[in-house]
Amino acid sequence: MREKRESIEKQTVKAKGGRSWIHDLRMNKALYFLTIPIVLYFIVFSYAPMFGLVIAFQDYKPSRGILGSNFVGLKNFINFFTGPNFLTILRNTFAINALSLLISFPLTIVFALLLNEIRLLKFKKTVQTISYMPYFISMVVICGLVIEFCATNGVITNLLVNIFGIQRVNLLQDPKYFWWINLFSDIWQGLGYGSIIYISAISAVSHEMYEAAAIDGAGRFKRCMNITLPSITPTIVTMLVLKCGLMMSVGGDKILLLYNSSIYSTADVISTHVQRMGIENMQYGYSAAVGLFNSIVGTSLLLISNTLSRKLADTSIV
Amino acid sequence: MIEKTTPSRVLFNILNYGFMIFFAFICLIPIWHVVMSSLSNPRLLMASSGIVWKPLGEITTAGYELVFKNKSILTGYGNTLLYVIWNAAVGTLMTVIAGYLVSRKDYKLKVPLMLFILFTMMFSGGLIPTYMVIRSLGLINSRWVMMIPGLMNAFYITMIKSGFEQLSDSYEESAKLDGAGPMTIMFRILLPLMKANVAVVVMFTVVMQWNSWYPASIYLPAVRDYWPLQLFMREMLIQNDTAAILTNADANSAADFTSNLVKYCVVVVGTLPVLCAYPFAQKYFVTGVTLGGVKG
Repeated sequence: MREKRESIEKQTVKAKGGRSWIHDLRMNKALYFLTIPIVLYFIVFSYAPMFGLVIAFQDYKPSRGILGSNFVGLKNFINFFTGPNFLTILRNTFAINALSLLISFPLTIVFALLLNEIRLLKFKKTVQTISYMPYFISMVVICGLVIEFCATNGVITNLLVNIFGIQRVNLLQDPKYFWWINLFSDIWQGLGYGSIIYISAISAVSHEMYEAAAIDGAGRFKRCMNITLPSITPTIVTMLVLKCGLMMSVGGDKILLLYNSSIYSTADVISTHVQRMGIENMQYGYSAAVGLFNSIVGTSLLLISNTLSRKLADTSIV
Repeated sequence: MIEKTTPSRVLFNILNYGFMIFFAFICLIPIWHVVMSSLSNPRLLMASSGIVWKPLGEITTAGYELVFKNKSILTGYGNTLLYVIWNAAVGTLMTVIAGYLVSRKDYKLKVPLMLFILFTMMFSGGLIPTYMVIRSLGLINSRWVMMIPGLMNAFYITMIKSGFEQLSDSYEESAKLDGAGPMTIMFRILLPLMKANVAVVVMFTVVMQWNSWYPASIYLPAVRDYWPLQLFMREMLIQNDTAAILTNADANSAADFTSNLVKYCVVVVGTLPVLCAYPFAQKYFVTGVTLGGVKG
């Protein structure tokens, strides 16, 4: 028994120092065996597509395959940049994300802070549970409801006609409403769920700080601004960085469900453009190029915002 | 903590509670509207506009009867269940294995494997190259396209990895002394100790898979028999094409009225299982989100 323990200890020590591959292979035979399917899975479904990005630089013809198609350099990218829709698509992508960053992001934090001020625990729990609920409804159903409520005689249209006196139209046929419809349905669906992370960060703040501040005569608003908010700043910064990093990829599937050709001028974004050109029109090389442009911008945004947050707020995720 | 009651405090509380009630109300109204509409008289429902607060006319379950007799919807339901159960079972199993591998301290491939997996989180080939890989594997319009490509992702693996890492080494050492191999250690000794982490992964997989429509819409365009429920719902709710689904019901006169009713019934049938189940699983979602935020 003791010998066995010693040998195991030796192994652990050795592994830290670095044992030979052959020895490791013999010791961890089962682990190596289990690694094979995992590695295969990621090679096929994650890495093979990365190499498939080669077609972004090709005049890809399905019949000739990747190896047989001609390389055309940056032609696909140039086609995208000089295409008639480029500026519109770029503007829409950024506008939709900027609205979400400027409005729904702070609202989520405010909601968490307000919820924190509720002292009746039962009430708080109930509001939380109800506010998470929309997140669990499928996008198809959400968009189905949005389409119904924004129809010519829909609930939201009626409300807007009565309050603001707008002209009665199908709101989803009029380009000027799309950004707002998208924003408010996002808020409706995601506000409660998005606040979870802040609520748990708030609950980790030490109670003693609040008590000390209360003794010093700080009111609730002051405590919120001077204790709670600074304490959850790292969480806020992390979420902000993540949001910037995901800017280019989020929301495409919702827009696909909501938009129609009459509002492409405000609703078409990069990911929907890729989907239409690639899957529907089968322009594989061109769409792969647009997708690659999208990934590169997305990854750069993530790295830039991460560096900025490390410099400015001393928090970073990578 | 003792609170002073000042007039501004009272005003704030009233406004705050008022806002919370209002917001909860806004969250519930659409769901309420759908449930009440699904029980309404189809003719009155056609004519009504605005929120349906209570069933219009006599309460009727005619819509639900049509839904449960409808072949498309039953097919969709069956497919969704298959995909959900498969991905929750096989996907979680693979995720646990991957998470176990990258948490082994005495495994030489631990770090390279983790980097290999994490890189997929930073950068992806994107929609079109992925589509082409899946097409070249012959998975387009096959059931397997819903059951293989989405099995694992780096995010859940990290979640399971941190679960394994939080366990004390002594469990593993004593199991090794008793002569247990890695499989026994993983499944019989360590896994029962981290049920909560596994539950998080299972819950997320179930909900995401239940609600997923996008992969099916691009990979299964031609075979309605393999469609998950969400695609049939998309056809009815978004493309507003109830005819395709209701043809074998009573297609003629009644269909005009009932199609609207059936829409609501399908939404209820397709959404309520998740909505009813999630309050019980809520703590796992909270854990998942918190872990995710910390890990990035």
